[in-house]
Amino acid sequence: MKVIALIAVIMTGTLLIYGTGEMPDWGDPNSPANSYVSPRYIQEATEKTATPNIVTAVLADYRGYDTMGETVVVFTAALGCILILRKKRNGEGG
Amino acid sequence: MLDYVISKYNFWIYIILMMIGLYAMIGKKNLVKKLIGMNIFQSAIILFYVSIGVKEGATVPILSGHGHGHGHEVIEAANYINPLPHVLMLTAIVVSIATTGLALATLIVIYRKYNTLEEDEILMIRKETGV
Repeated sequence: MKVIALIAVIMTGTLLIYGTGEMPDWGDPNSPANSYVSPRYIQEATEKTATPNIVTAVLADYRGYDTMGETVVVFTAALGCILILRKKRNGEGG
Repeated sequence: MLDYVISKYNFWIYIILMMIGLYAMIGKKNLVKKLIGMNIFQSAIILFYVSIGVKEGATVPILSGHGHGHGHEVIEAANYINPLPHVLMLTAIVVSIATTGLALATLIVIYRKYNTLEEDEILMIRKETGV
């Protein structure tokens, strides 16, 4: 069983390492991820949101609703932990 | 050849880290070890995304001037690393914390019921008791 797992993992890793041949070089300023959307954020974020930290500007201004949804995710996880771990009283179902 | 290795070896490191996590998830019998493998896998993905945003010779995406009144000077995008992968990985870290917490709570309940966290022992107990 462990041999099958090892073979599957090594096959996955080999395929992924084969795929890195098409990836951009490390630290390339002209890679696709760095050249289409992000320059606009870097140039306009401070002007539009008055926040020097661009990560904060994107997190709390551009994606404010997403961050609010994240708090819902954390709240739901905490609620789930409480519901899973609570001690049930005698005679009560669920 | 050496240039190729230097420009790509960061991806290989993340793939090796990901393989360690994947093997722990598939091959290990202990449920806590499976969960730790999932966390290693998530760390590999997060490091991979952060490394996509790197620009050589650039600095952190925090502008030195204040927001108001400095809009005239041109901000060179090549001087600041890509902030978007960092933001997305903040979201991913929050989700991974939520899933890890819920999984640990579930493991506590499993341990209370079966008194073991080994997968094969749990399956054997379930087969014997017919539950």
